[in-house]
This record gives sequence, C-alpha cells and structure tokens, in this order.
Amino acid sequence: MSQTSTQKKTAVVICPGRGTYNAEELGYLVRHHSDKASFIDMIDRVRKEAGQEAISSLDGADKYSSASHGSGENASLLIYACAMADFFSINRERYDIVAVTGNSMGWYLSLTAGGALSLEDGARLVNGMGQIVTKHGVGGQIVYPSVDDDWRPSEKRKKHIQDALSMVGDVTISTSIHLGGLHVFAGGDRGIKHLMSQLPKDGVFPLRLRGHSAFHSSKLDHIVPLAKTAFSPDMFGRPDLPLIDGQGNIWPHFSTDTDALYDYTLGRQINGAYDFTRAVQVAAKEFAPDVFIVLGPGSTMGAPTAQSLIELDWHGLTSKTDFLERQHNDPIIISMGRADQRALATK
Amino acid sequence: MAANLFDRPAVLDAAFTARLAKGDMPDVSGSNIPAVTLADIFDTQLMNRHLDLMARRTKGQTFYSIGSSGHEGLAALAYASRPDDMAFLHYRDAAFCIQRRKIVDGSTPLYDMVLSFAASSEDPVSGGRHKVLGGADIYVPPQTSTIASHLPKAVGAAHSLCLGGGDLPSDSVVLCSFGDASSNHSTAQGAINAAAWASYQGSPMPLVFICEDNDIGISVRTPKGWIAANYKNRPGLKYISCDGTDIEDAMRGAQQAIEFARKRRRPVFLHFKTVRLMGHAGADIEAKYTRQSEIEAREAQDPLLKTAAHLMARQIRSADDITRAYNDMRARVDRIAAQVFTRPKLSSAAEVMAPIAGGVRHKPLETPSREALAKIGCERDGRPIALNKMLNKTLAETLLTYETAFVFGEDVARKGGVYGVTLDLLKSFGAKRVQDTLLDEQTILGMAIGAAHNGFLPIPEIQFLAYLHNAEDQIRGEAATLSFFSKGQFTNPMVIRIAGLGYQRGFGGHFHNDNSVTVLRDIPGLILACPSNGNDARRMLRECVRLAYEERRVVVFLEPIALYGTADIHSGDKAWMSEYLPPQDDSLINYGEVFQHGEGTELCILTYGNGYYLSRKAEDALGGIKLRIIDMRWLAPLPMEAILKAARPCKNILIVDECRKSGSLSEELMAQLLEAGIKAPVARVTGHDSFIPLGNAAYEVMPSVDDIVAAAKGMTS
Repeated sequence: MSQTSTQKKTAVVICPGRGTYNAEELGYLVRHHSDKASFIDMIDRVRKEAGQEAISSLDGADKYSSASHGSGENASLLIYACAMADFFSINRERYDIVAVTGNSMGWYLSLTAGGALSLEDGARLVNGMGQIVTKHGVGGQIVYPSVDDDWRPSEKRKKHIQDALSMVGDVTISTSIHLGGLHVFAGGDRGIKHLMSQLPKDGVFPLRLRGHSAFHSSKLDHIVPLAKTAFSPDMFGRPDLPLIDGQGNIWPHFSTDTDALYDYTLGRQINGAYDFTRAVQVAAKEFAPDVFIVLGPGSTMGAPTAQSLIELDWHGLTSKTDFLERQHNDPIIISMGRADQRALATK
Repeated sequence: MAANLFDRPAVLDAAFTARLAKGDMPDVSGSNIPAVTLADIFDTQLMNRHLDLMARRTKGQTFYSIGSSGHEGLAALAYASRPDDMAFLHYRDAAFCIQRRKIVDGSTPLYDMVLSFAASSEDPVSGGRHKVLGGADIYVPPQTSTIASHLPKAVGAAHSLCLGGGDLPSDSVVLCSFGDASSNHSTAQGAINAAAWASYQGSPMPLVFICEDNDIGISVRTPKGWIAANYKNRPGLKYISCDGTDIEDAMRGAQQAIEFARKRRRPVFLHFKTVRLMGHAGADIEAKYTRQSEIEAREAQDPLLKTAAHLMARQIRSADDITRAYNDMRARVDRIAAQVFTRPKLSSAAEVMAPIAGGVRHKPLETPSREALAKIGCERDGRPIALNKMLNKTLAETLLTYETAFVFGEDVARKGGVYGVTLDLLKSFGAKRVQDTLLDEQTILGMAIGAAHNGFLPIPEIQFLAYLHNAEDQIRGEAATLSFFSKGQFTNPMVIRIAGLGYQRGFGGHFHNDNSVTVLRDIPGLILACPSNGNDARRMLRECVRLAYEERRVVVFLEPIALYGTADIHSGDKAWMSEYLPPQDDSLINYGEVFQHGEGTELCILTYGNGYYLSRKAEDALGGIKLRIIDMRWLAPLPMEAILKAARPCKNILIVDECRKSGSLSEELMAQLLEAGIKAPVARVTGHDSFIPLGNAAYEVMPSVDDIVAAAKGMTS
C-alpha cells in the first residue's frame, strides 16, 4: 500500500456510533492523542460536572471492562473523545474535507466535527444523551446481515429480515438502522426476545447489542421531550462543513436552518429509522470524494461504508473481493482506527 | 487571464466572483424573504448555475446543453408552491426541480441532474432517454417540450382537479411554465384560451401559467411589451407580473399567483421576467446576432448577483462566504460530473424501448352486477342494434365499471354526439362524467393527458378523423412519449374515440370523410383499434379500456362512421346488427385477435372497417371462390402473427384497404407478408391518392364492391 500522489484529495469523514470502543481500543487517547491535552481536559471537565468518571481515566484504565467501558453512560463520550481527536489529526494539507456524516450517535459527532456544535456543546450533548437514554431508554437492538459473505445482496437474508419486520402479534419490531450490509432492528424487550428466537441462526447472528436501547424507533418517543428540555436550540450553529444526516439529507454550510437542525437532531433522529447506507450513498453521489475517512475508535464502520458503496457500484466496486483489491492498491476507505491505515490520514 | 470574449460561460463565471471581490453589486431594494430561505434559494441557484457551466465545459460528454441560467428565479415558484402542486415545466427550470427535490429525503439533485445531462441509463428520470426535468417524487412529469405543447395537458390537469376522485389533492394547483417565444405557438394560444374560456363561464381552473420572458427566442426578439400587452386584459385570466431576476420580486409574484389560483380556482398568467445567459444553447454563438453591449447588459442582470446582493445588504452572508460557496459548488459539481461520466449508457434498442408500452400495471376492476348494468339499460333484450347504439351501451357500461372514466368532446354531452354514440350518458352519469368541450382538439387531447396524470381514465372523442390532424402532436409528441421519457414512472392511459373513415353518405367532403390513419400508425406504443361491426365493437372497446386502465396504454378507437347505423349486408337481412351482451354473457376479444370469416384457401382477403363490410357484400358475387375474409381489427401495431396464421394456407391474398394507396397499411402488409416468406401472389384494392369529394363522386376514389370482385376474380381465374 502506498500513497504516491501528492495532490490534495477530497474526503468525506464518517463518524462512528456506539459499540466502537472495545478492549483493543483501550488506551486510544493515550496512544494517539497525547498532544490534545486541553481537549481531553475539557472532556473530563464535562464529566466531572456531571459527577462521572473522567474519560482519560477510563481510557487509561489497566483493563477493559465491558460493564464500565461499554455502558451507555461511559461509552458515548469515550467514543466522542477518540473520534473528535482523530478528526483533529486528519492531515488537512493532504485532504480537503467536503462533507461529514456518521452513524447513529455518530450524528452528534458529525455535528461537532462539522462545526454546528462547539466541541464542548458536542461533548455535553453526547454525554447528556447517553445519560438520558441510560436512565429512560427501553428495549434493545439486534443486528442481522442482509448481504452474503462477499457483501453482495443476499435475497435469502433479506427475506428473513422482511419476514421479521412483517411479524404480527403483540410484539412490534422496526428497522432501527440501515447499516450497509447489516440490518439493525429495534424493539421492546419482548420483541427483542421474540426476534432472537425467530431469526434463523447465521454465524454470530442474530446479534443483540448489549447495553443498547431501541434507538431510532418509536419506542423512544418519550426521549424526544426529555432531550428537548435538556438542550437548547441556541447551541446549534451553521456548520462549517456540509453534514449528511440519517435520512440522507444534506445540511449545507451556506444555508442550514439551525432551528430545523435542532428539531431533526432531537426529534426524528431519535425516534425514526436511521439510514446510514443512504447517508454514505448521498455523500458519494453529491460530494464525490476521493476517499472516505472513518474516524476511530475501532474500525467496524469500514465494512458498512464499503457495503453502502458496493450497493451503488461506486468506482466499479461490486463485492468484498473488489473492495479488498481496491483497498490494497489505492484505499478508498481509510479507517483511522486501523493501525495499517491511520498513517494515510494523519500527518 | 481575461476570459475569451466569445466564451460567455467563462466570462459569466469569472464576473461573478470578480464583482463580489470589487463590491460591484447590483442595487436591490429591501427584502422580506426569511434569511434562511434566501440562503437556501441561493444555494439552489448556485447548483443550477454550476450545472450549466459544467455542461458547457464538457461538450461531448453532456448533451442538450440548453441551460437554465438567468432563469434561476424559478426556485421561488418551487418555494411558493406545495410539493404536490403538479408542475409542467419549461426546459429552463432546473432551479425549480432542484429546489423542490431538496425536501425529498435522501435526494441527490446534483448527481441525478448530471446523469440526465450525460444521458446515463442510471438517470432516475428518463433512464438516459433525454435530458428531461422532472420526477414522480416531485410531481413534475418529465418534459421536453420546446414548442409549448405541454400547455394543453396542464389545462387538463387543472380541470381534472375539480372533478373529484383524482390522485392529486383537490385543493392543489397546477403550474405550467414556458418561454415568451413559445407563447406565440398556436398550442400555447389554444391552451391559454381554453383556460380563460372555462374560467370566463365560472368553471374552476386552478392553474398558474408562468411565462418566462427573456425577450428572445433563439435569435428572434419578442417585440417590446408584447407579452404584457397580450395578456394584461384577457377575460377570465388574472395577470400578475414580477421581475424573476430579483428573487424578492420573484417570490412576491410567485406567492401572489399561486395564492390567487388556489383560493379563487381561476387561472393566472404570471409574467415572469428573466434573462437568458450564455445564449440559447451550447452551440449558439450569441455574438452572431447580438451586440456585445446587449450581451453584457443581460449578464449584468444575473439573478445570482442580485440574490447575493440581498444576502449582503441584509448581512445574512458576507462576500467571502458567498465567494466560498460559489467556488465550492463549482468544484463539487465538477467532481460529481467526473464520476457520472463513468456511469453506463443505454446500449441496445431493447433497453431504449423498454418503457414504451406503459408502466406499472393496475389490477382489474370488478364487473358491475347484472342488476346495476340493467339500471343503465345494459341488459339482454333480444333486440339487434347497430354499431352506434352498441357503442352507446358499451360506453355506459364502461362509465359504470370505471369510476375514474369520463367521456368528453365536442357535442358529446347535451346533444349526445353527432351520431348518437354518447346519447343520454349525461343523464345517466352527470356533468362531471360526460362533458362538452370547446371546439379545439388540442384542448380535448390535452385534457385527456392532464386528467390521466391525475388518475383519471379519459375517454375523449374526436368528432371527425380529419380534426385529429391539427392536434395530433398531443398524441405523438406528448401522450405517447410520457412513459418512454419517464421510464414508466408516469403514464397517461386513455381511449381516444375517433369517428372516421370514408363512405359517409350525404355529408361528404374530406373533413367528414377522411380516409387516412397513417398519422396514427407509426407512433411507438400507441394501439389503434378499428371495429367493423357492433358485435366486435362492444368487445373491442372493453379490451381497449382494459388496455388503458390495466396496462396504462394510449389507445385510439377508430369508429367507421358509415357503419354506425348499418343494419344489413344485403337489403333487409339485419346481418350487420347484433344484440348487446353484458360482460357476464359475453366472450372476449383480446388485443391481437383477428376475425376470420370462411375457411377457404383459394383466396384470403385481408381487410378492416368498411373494407370488411364491402368484402362481405362482395362474397355472393365471389360464390365460386373458396375464400376467407379476415377482419384484422387492430391496425397498429398490426397483429402479424394472427394475420400470417390466417393468410399462410391461402393460394392468393388480396388486401382491401379503404385508405389511400400511399401510406396506408396496405403498404406495411405487403412488406410484412414478403418478409414473412409468403409465396402466394398478393394484390391490393385501395383508395386513390386523392381527397374525398362531395356526393357520389366520393365513391370514385374509394374501393367498391365491384373493385373487390374484379380483383378477386382476377387473381383466382
């Protein structure tokens, strides 16, 4: 793998959602971002004010604990800190960032990376929403694949998904996230239990996401007023960079209606399905970047991003095999959470 | 380096940022548009402009370079209208489409527009068949009209809003834009007249005509003040004018016009002043016919500069902000174009033609009960009736079966049609289902197209075949092309009844005895049916209505006037009449089925309409010849499989075609028989290449029984 061209490239930045800070990521801030002390201090201050453990100490812990690091209350801001720090580390002399998008909680990160929220307001939003959902969240999420092992559409798996969505009875299941080749379901506790037993076993799937609520579904309707009480529209500003949300809608630098941005973020974004696939596809079509830079921590967003592009036949990518070959020769997705790719994005 | 003076796109592009940098902005008066709206519209205008500039830089990779620059104020119409106000747009209205598409979740207006410019098969609007503006998601039927041929259907759609039961909300309005030059076209004049005619007598017509007046049509100037003088004082038509180059005034005009049409349900003529930037199209060198100073004066009216001036005057955005947005958009559009140019194109005739035959099928409707049919006189009574009465009953049955069907045309309601085919339908079904129109075939066909866009099943009548000819582009250029240019997203199903062909006694003359259907035979996707008798007509009309409703087809049903009242083959035998049978008791005639009379193989007569009737009359005189007479029934596309099956066993083939020798379907039949390897001798009896005169002289130029007998005997002797 080599970076031969010195010409500046255009990039769309993709912000990760929950579940991306795992055992391997422990010490991420220490390893990569020891130069960003004031930023991390600010994050720790937000935590202290909320009476929570400092992010720096969570990241600097000796051992990873899923109960601690993976809890909604801690994981959210931990991921935020790593991702924002990664965003600052992007080599802007090499990359022109033309748009920002993200998955699920990654939307809050996108708002901050894109400049619609200040770093501190972004931290407060992420942390605050983590607290609200930890306290008031219900139900859960289940992941199931919709593509085959070569990341081509799988009619069989899609049928399983459709069958699950059309289940009738006293349980309700809805689409939570279109995540490239993964379908994320949301449901109440009974619905999740029922779905786990109904979906055909397929490797690790169906996979229940531990500690997650029924994000992006009507099960969280009650969160909307709580979120709107907790956060003011005043904290939202016009983004510096175009943002692409979970409906695939673009919020341009020039003409964003900040009240509408607030309403979406603390409204439909919370209780409506999140279409990450479409967000990536809109980013590709409407901004046509040379590369997609996936912020760390972790690298789990690389595959859904690639799968979303494969669905478009973007740059001639039609399968995982194509994608891996392209990655080897001239990466189209740079995952900063991967040691072998990080250097491509940073100075 | 200064741009080449003849490269106006480059001059225009450079001038925008240069004037911003110098602070050389146009004077604009105060603005009331909310800041966020103004910024959003400017973003749309930038998209529009950079799409055009990109297209001018990429000749050979983009096509049909007629642009929208100078007409970016159309974004105001998109803003002021509701997303479900159907819009039939001028080809310079990219800004309208972009603005409206912005509210569709996950839409990609730039990418999609470039796909269209590049004629990529992935273009979601036409699939690479044309650079058309539109899409089902934004209620804009794709439009390519360069001669305002879309105005009649806008009138039709607006009229249909008031019929009740359409797909569009009944409180919506219809928008229809066109250029100042094409406003002179007779089609535009007819449509505007029709809207005013309706409004003048109190009939609802919630329609906004938007005349985008840029003062010029290619190189011909519109006389100064012509549009205003022409439309300011038209009865039944509200005139509003605005400066479309200044978004503030454009918004005022747009809002006033749409509000008036929506509240008052009356038509508005919105005179929308624009400028044409960068000439008529990419290949047009404006300097050849326009002084440099005039070109520069137009460019100084650039709507983008004016919107930018509003943004700056109100301190909504700085010059730096605007310059950055302008440059970012140029780079963005160029990147998108580079990607789009790698996308696939249509690469086979089959791919190109795939959407010609309709769109998504609709489910069949239930046949009404015998009791319901009997209430409107559609029941068995043992009495034989002629063709016109049979059609009358079948139309009644159709109106009962299809709630969205309606019958209209000249004299069809109160009078019941010139030949009584629509008699009493008004009484049975009321004024919304059976309507008299003004005397204008373009409006009648436009009404059908527009109403079909709104979910209706129109059954228009063209009173005489010859009257079709002044309006046929409404079928050829508009109705028949819709599913093709929209990839089947839009269809305008209809059954156009036309009374026609020759042999009508006593009324004569070429207007009432026209024997040319050539104009209907080469239109891709159009189905042309021609029954020769009532027993066929009933079943064929049912099939035609089914084709229109279920398969979304444009169907023409050609009724031979001379056979409307015909009772006998030979005096008193009543052999040309039959009993009405309700659907429950009847057999079907499917599209493509021909009728074969006789089993003989010595001679096959291929014919239709009056020709079939005359051939049956000739049968006695041909007693010694073992023959079969084929009523082809379907004249386009010709049902060749069935025709060949009937003709192949025969030793001789005689084509009896009542239309003219030149251009009639007898020519196609000869060619098709030859291509199919038919070895039998083929001859034809046709009309002469003449117009039809009055009185008995008419029969000198059309096939007669004697002609058929002579030809048949000549072949078989």
